[in-house]
Amino acid sequence: MWIPVQIDDKSAEPLYHQIETQLRSLIISGNLAEGTLLPSIREFAGDLKCSVITVRRVYQDLEGEGLLRTRQGTGTFVSHVGDGARAEYRRETVRKALEAAVDAGRSVQFGEEELNELFQEIVKRKYGEADNKGE
Amino acid sequence: MVRLAVELRNVIKKRHSKTIGPINLELPEGHIIALVGQNGSGKSTLLSMLLKLALPEEGTICWFGSSVEGELPIEIRRSIGYVPESPIHEESHWTPEEAASFRRRWYPDWDQAYFQALLDEFEVPQGIRLGKMSKGERRKFEIAAVLAAGPKLLLLDEPSSGLDPFAWRIMIETLQRYMDERQATIIISTHIVEEVRRLADYIILLHKGKLLGMAEKDALLGAWSEVWVSAADEAELAELAAELPEALELKIQTPGMARMITSRMQDLEKRFSDLGIKKIRSRILDLEEILSLWTMGHRPELADLKRGD
Repeated sequence: MWIPVQIDDKSAEPLYHQIETQLRSLIISGNLAEGTLLPSIREFAGDLKCSVITVRRVYQDLEGEGLLRTRQGTGTFVSHVGDGARAEYRRETVRKALEAAVDAGRSVQFGEEELNELFQEIVKRKYGEADNKGE
Repeated sequence: MVRLAVELRNVIKKRHSKTIGPINLELPEGHIIALVGQNGSGKSTLLSMLLKLALPEEGTICWFGSSVEGELPIEIRRSIGYVPESPIHEESHWTPEEAASFRRRWYPDWDQAYFQALLDEFEVPQGIRLGKMSKGERRKFEIAAVLAAGPKLLLLDEPSSGLDPFAWRIMIETLQRYMDERQATIIISTHIVEEVRRLADYIILLHKGKLLGMAEKDALLGAWSEVWVSAADEAELAELAAELPEALELKIQTPGMARMITSRMQDLEKRFSDLGIKKIRSRILDLEEILSLWTMGHRPELADLKRGD
């Protein structure tokens, strides 16, 4: 089975972290359904051109988070993701994006008020567009 | 606990022109370990010691947890597959079929169907003598024959030399599949960085007979960066050098820009912002550059087999 995880060779972010973040989001977002059998450690490592040590570590971490479970002799499966975890993940994704946007504003000396105004303007435009399309 | 396929303790081999070692290594089962180093660094000697084809003057070697006095016992010898740098002359007058039927007698686990499937996949010509084959065709036969014996430990001495890109890819995939299906261990000597990238879990670096260490491949990637910052002249460069002990090979290559390499990019970024230094660009060094830095003495973090178990 092929899993859409892509490694960026040019990034300083450690490989295991890149893989773990992407795999976690595929599971929590529901793109990888509960019960999906993941590739064996060696197979996944071969696809990603990384070592089995890295993939083993990712599987172990996500097992620790309850997102994966391993059955001896059969392999590693996607586990049940609770609604709480999914809601948390949704919120976290948006929070991170917003924090990055605020940092971008601060780096060019945007004030709080100015930032708020711009945010409201964008929200109004984007959600308005969506509403217009819906009608 | 990590089970070791091979362990070397203070192994020294004296060749007429140079000494290999002392080598201390623990090679974990179930992994692919790439042996890299320039010509004459001792890679082939190390591999032949693992078969007792060369005997070390000092030190001990353990196979699967037991050290061996005298000849390697047949059970251990059978569980090791070896593709030497140049093929064995004695088999050259045989066809692949004849060579296989000879080898089969020595290996009770010989898998004839697997052997045949590999020959077909590699498109090794059948019915002609091994000695008449091209270097690449012979190589493909050697790889198929060594895997058919079902080894627990595979020693491959530059197995891809002579292979065309198609055969090379089949070899990589075949080795990965073999590793996926059994808990084998592969030690592969190679000069091809892409082969290391694709296959290796660990990298062993040898240089002029000295062991420089064993590192996790993925820990090496991303470990080093090259950074450019603005610097007007040599005076400013000297100031930078005094402020940035994390920077190596600091110099001005382009007017107005200082260039440096570092394995501590995060520390350096923080120093830049503390000191108000303007970073222009940075990039991650690739595996080839990292191995060359390592050869020059910039040792990376070495593998720790106890971690994570």
